[in-house]
Amino acid sequence: MMHCRDRQPHARNARAAGVPALVLLLLTLVGCASTPQLAESTERELPRRALLEDIPFHGQRDYQCGPASLAMVLNATGMPVDVDTLIPQVFLPGREGSVQPEMLGTVRRHGRIPFRIEGSMDALLTEIDAGHPVVVMQNLSLPAWPVWHYAVAIGFDLDEETLILHSGMEPERVESFKRFDATWARSDRWAFVALPPGEFPASTDAKTALDAIADFERVQGVKTALPAWEALVDRQPGAAMGHFALGNARYATGDTQGAMSAFEDAVKADSELAVAWLNLGLLQSELGEGEKAREALQRAASIPGPWQKQAREALDDLKMGGE
Amino acid sequence: MMKKICRYLSPLLIAALVLGSLPVAAAPTSPGSGLVTTQDALNVERTQGDRERIHEILARDDVQEQLVAQGVDPAEVEARVAALSDAEAAQMADQLEQLPAGASVVGALFAVFVILLVTDILGLTNVFPFTR
Repeated sequence: MMHCRDRQPHARNARAAGVPALVLLLLTLVGCASTPQLAESTERELPRRALLEDIPFHGQRDYQCGPASLAMVLNATGMPVDVDTLIPQVFLPGREGSVQPEMLGTVRRHGRIPFRIEGSMDALLTEIDAGHPVVVMQNLSLPAWPVWHYAVAIGFDLDEETLILHSGMEPERVESFKRFDATWARSDRWAFVALPPGEFPASTDAKTALDAIADFERVQGVKTALPAWEALVDRQPGAAMGHFALGNARYATGDTQGAMSAFEDAVKADSELAVAWLNLGLLQSELGEGEKAREALQRAASIPGPWQKQAREALDDLKMGGE
Repeated sequence: MMKKICRYLSPLLIAALVLGSLPVAAAPTSPGSGLVTTQDALNVERTQGDRERIHEILARDDVQEQLVAQGVDPAEVEARVAALSDAEAAQMADQLEQLPAGASVVGALFAVFVILLVTDILGLTNVFPFTR
């Protein structure tokens, strides 16, 4: 007993000396984390605080923050899937965790489109303000001993500089911007929102949206994806590939006239989009409009690129059929 | 060594074989229509060339095997792989071991514990709930 008490002050002194040294060492190792600064426009446009109150919370068990986070965002979009269903769909027993590609894939399986969002506090808070809970990946620990973690960001307070997350076993956990951003930065600020077809993240470019919907369409089929394409061309009328994709989706669901006008919109938006001229020509030829088809296919064949060969072949077919 | 060579060589060989029949593989899936599908059109833009495209096609089989090896129920594997985009499947095939897996559990080394405790207090990490 006595010698224990004797030793303690020494230990305490050693610790007192060691801690500052350790702190210095760590600061040089990790780099100084500081509170992330928001862009002026973000400060101006966002409310001082926001909280998505109706996002259901699922506490994680064992290592299952992935399935739990997915359940929360899917439920938020009205998809009533529970954690137990999601575990065998996304959890990797060998890794005792869930990997990012499968998180996105699982969202598709449940009829929602996963959109990666830009890795910045501005984009994150903008999504929350738009009513979209955001799944974020964090490394709660240091790069050398990673503790990877998924959580769902659901609110913020700009005056307090805090973020509110459903995380692990804790609903509405309050975390400072500084600490959150330090842990988020270690995943390269990986984040996504899961939305029903027809809805989009608050800030997204046409290319990201196109890829996200096309990947979704491959999994869920054209019919499910059609509203997303319709909404995309409403939102991004200048994106020629969006009109092209809409044309394909309408064609596959039997709306030939709709498809035609979508392909026409595509070449109107970008007269150099060879693949749209090609599909327009193929469709016109299928409908027996030989003269129009020839014009479109000639346009497609005149644009250098991967579709030239197919366009020439189609032109040849047209000539043979016409004679 | 041999295994490594095979790992690189076999995709190339398969690629060479499949290359001839590629137009067939890339043909639109919807029956009766000759239109170019959206996925094919995007793939042509996205991927550098045929070899990369074939790599992505082969990746799915590779990922299925890897998932079974990681303890995933074989009955689930096919649906899981089918839900991935081509790019995601390729990423899984190439670097499943290196991909971070969200799990939120820390190894219990004491030295690590102390360091993380300090970084937690500094607000750099978030391992221990009580440091907030």
